[in-house]
Amino acid sequence: MKTPVIVSDFRAGLADGDLLIQNCHDCGKPNMWPRYACPHCQSDNLGWVKSSGKGILHSFCVLRQGAPEGFEGDLPYAIGVVKLPEGVQLLVRLEATGENDWSAYGCDDEVEFVAVDPGEIERRPCATFRRVG
Amino acid sequence: MTENWQLHVDAGQENDPVFVGVGEIPTGKFPDRSFIEGLTSVAVMALRDAGMVPRDIDTILLIPCLHSGADQADLVFSRMVEELGIHGSCKSSFMVHSGGSTSDNAVRAAHGLIATGHAKNVLVLQCERWGSADLNEMITMLSKNGIPGEWELPTGIQFNAIGAMIMRRYMHASGSTAEELASVCVTLRKWANLNENAMFYTKPLTVEQILASRMVADPLHSFECPPMADGACAFVMTSAGVAKKRGISHGIRVAGSGGCVSHYCLSQEADQAVLGWPLAAERAWNQSGWGPKDADIGEIYDSYAAVTAIALEGIGIAEKGEGARWFAAGHGDPGGKLPMNTNGGLLSAGHTGVGGGTALLVEGIRQLLHRAPAKRQVEGCERAIIGGTGGSYMDAQILLLERTKLGA
Repeated sequence: MKTPVIVSDFRAGLADGDLLIQNCHDCGKPNMWPRYACPHCQSDNLGWVKSSGKGILHSFCVLRQGAPEGFEGDLPYAIGVVKLPEGVQLLVRLEATGENDWSAYGCDDEVEFVAVDPGEIERRPCATFRRVG
Repeated sequence: MTENWQLHVDAGQENDPVFVGVGEIPTGKFPDRSFIEGLTSVAVMALRDAGMVPRDIDTILLIPCLHSGADQADLVFSRMVEELGIHGSCKSSFMVHSGGSTSDNAVRAAHGLIATGHAKNVLVLQCERWGSADLNEMITMLSKNGIPGEWELPTGIQFNAIGAMIMRRYMHASGSTAEELASVCVTLRKWANLNENAMFYTKPLTVEQILASRMVADPLHSFECPPMADGACAFVMTSAGVAKKRGISHGIRVAGSGGCVSHYCLSQEADQAVLGWPLAAERAWNQSGWGPKDADIGEIYDSYAAVTAIALEGIGIAEKGEGARWFAAGHGDPGGKLPMNTNGGLLSAGHTGVGGGTALLVEGIRQLLHRAPAKRQVEGCERAIIGGTGGSYMDAQILLLERTKLGA
């Protein structure tokens, strides 16, 4: 199946170094994940805005074993849920602060979006965040 | 928010649906026990327990299996109707599916069918072969279920990662320690040590062993992950009127239920340390007219310790932030103030996929029927809180069950 436009647009944003949030042109509300109809007003008049890149880490974990097929070589890796000030939230990868070290991270820490090399976005089309400070 | 949302059947009515029998075979690794053999065994056991034969059943509800698409298709396409010899007389056979909360929704479905007259005697069947399936295949399958592929698969998320994130948020919000979380697993193991059908019937477990086990997904240790198991169970529901005519003296009725579907993927959950439990509980208490203090046992989904601790708080069994410490204090242990997951739960009886919640439900019915083995039967057991949740803890489902005398 062809990749849906809302997915390819979002991924193109990541490859360009931007975290895009779907925005409804009719009611003005943000949607994450992007939807086919605005869940607030059911409009299909939808576009994108760039995220500020700031966020708060709601929770995270460091996966050390039992990776899904194709992810074995990535171990260990950290994933977390980030809440953005725009009022939406998403699942991200977290950048290590040292070699395979995420011990500096904690819940409710301030985090920020990191632009990742387009080749890496091609391989793993997801947003990456890192700790602020 | 207060809402008045009542059931349309009351205790004492002829059409009030009641549980009258259960069946279960041992949970664990049984590679030589076939899928259909497991289903047939528990069907016969549950029917005998209810004083019925297959011909009495007009409706079969099927709990899905996750180990095989072909086996699942056998369920969907009525194989069990033929295996039990009721083809030609059986009215309806179909599957109910909402992952780990399927059993709660299967009860709602059976309850509605019986109360309205669409069904007289309903048999609910479950069998899973997770313990004998290829582990890597199952991990990969589970990393695609309850996770939006286009948005979240690229992160490498899988089920232990989901459990670990909930655990971390819960520890942050409640100030619970690793020892306190591990104590939830120890309580469950104490119950499993009283259940011959449990995967870990003969193996004790300590907090020290858990904390010394491998870190799988910080802060989750390997001994805190649910063991994938083979298992099967079944139950029978009918109406109070039919049960009375059949000479059954006591049944188990549904006093009320409550539910909340709070998200699809965990990333969209507003608060991972709360989930949908508070709203589900409010609805359940409103419908049943009784509260957490009135229950004699709890059978609440426990694929990870934090998931159960969070549920206990939302339901009102433990104070806010005290769910894990409630277990650490021994309140859910054998002899504790509210025996919790008296079969050993998913974590110690074994995680049979969609069947884990069904096994907890079946144990709750068994306790209320006063048919549990003496060593773990809770004395004077009249009321039970059943809790379930499916997918990435997408929903919180509560059934409030009570023992009722049928007839004079």
